[in-house]
Amino acid sequence: MAEELVPTWEDVARRYGRKIYNFAYRLTGNPDDAADLVQDVLLRVRKGLAAYTPGSFDGWLWRITRNAFLDGVRRRQRRPTSPLPEDERNLALASPSPDEVLASVRLSEDIQSALLKVPLDFRECVVLCDIVGLTYEEIAEAVEAPVGTVRSRIHRGRRMLRELLTWPV
Amino acid sequence: MARVKHPDDHCANQDVLSAYLDGELRPGELDEVVAHLTDCLDCVAEFHRIKEMRAALRTLPDLELPERLLPSAHPGPELSALLDGELATIEQEIVLLHLGECDACRSEFHELDAARTAIRSLPGLEPPEFLMTRRDAARARHRSRWRVVTAAAAGMAAAVAIAVGVFGGPPPTSPIDVSQFSDQHNARASLEPGFGVIPVFLSQGEAP
Repeated sequence: MAEELVPTWEDVARRYGRKIYNFAYRLTGNPDDAADLVQDVLLRVRKGLAAYTPGSFDGWLWRITRNAFLDGVRRRQRRPTSPLPEDERNLALASPSPDEVLASVRLSEDIQSALLKVPLDFRECVVLCDIVGLTYEEIAEAVEAPVGTVRSRIHRGRRMLRELLTWPV
Repeated sequence: MARVKHPDDHCANQDVLSAYLDGELRPGELDEVVAHLTDCLDCVAEFHRIKEMRAALRTLPDLELPERLLPSAHPGPELSALLDGELATIEQEIVLLHLGECDACRSEFHELDAARTAIRSLPGLEPPEFLMTRRDAARARHRSRWRVVTAAAAGMAAAVAIAVGVFGGPPPTSPIDVSQFSDQHNARASLEPGFGVIPVFLSQGEAP
């Protein structure tokens, strides 16, 4: 019975791939790094599914995602490359109205570049909350920190973002 | 222009504002926060700023997952890159897993391998004599004489083979023999560690 609750590799990719991709893109600001992270996570999920015991699947998945992301950050730090400025006009947008797209591209570029200036600990909590849509408890499980710490990081992260957008440095 | 006074200057615990906004307050905190917001205009202003920031974050476009990242997506150009040992470790592992499960891609992989092997087995051409030094030209002429002798021997062998075929030899085989490529890969894997993973499914030949 328990085996029925364990999703397949393909299931995970179809159900969570988009969220993982958005998480990675907002954290890195780079579609190539985001794609690499999705592949890395899916591979880790495939390997981990054999030993996975049904429980908090989201917590397990986001912990894997975050660890893969941090490993990627460490790898990139060892061989630094200059990230290209992203152009979201080339990426698939959910709302296709031309005026909205034009306005949201400018706004989202500003928000994206501000996000990249927020320290990682705060950025990941804000992204997991506002982009991925996890609860504070799920975020705490993913980042392996107390809920109180997560709460503080989300608030301070949002405030840093607002300051970056209001008072450009 | 006056800078907005930072709320932390007088209110110690601002975290509750985000938690209030997200519906994540702990039991018993709600009354306290509501009471504070009725008295503290700075915190009300801060609450609205955080609310706007959260709304802006939530307007970020929800990007589509590129289809090629799904495990069931057929690799395409990555197959050639795999043959050439040019894929990153993670990508290589994913393509190999796909090949283990997809007959169509495995067959395409064999065809690409055959084409690649054929291209690589083309003879290297000698440059025209006027472009060579005298010593190079002498060497080339020597090689050319040997080629004539070898071609004659090959012609003889072919004539014998045709004669055997006509007079009851085995039927002609397919020009592409998959096991041959499997053997080539096994041989290559013994020399190039990067290819060590490829023969696993090539030698199996069948879908799992």
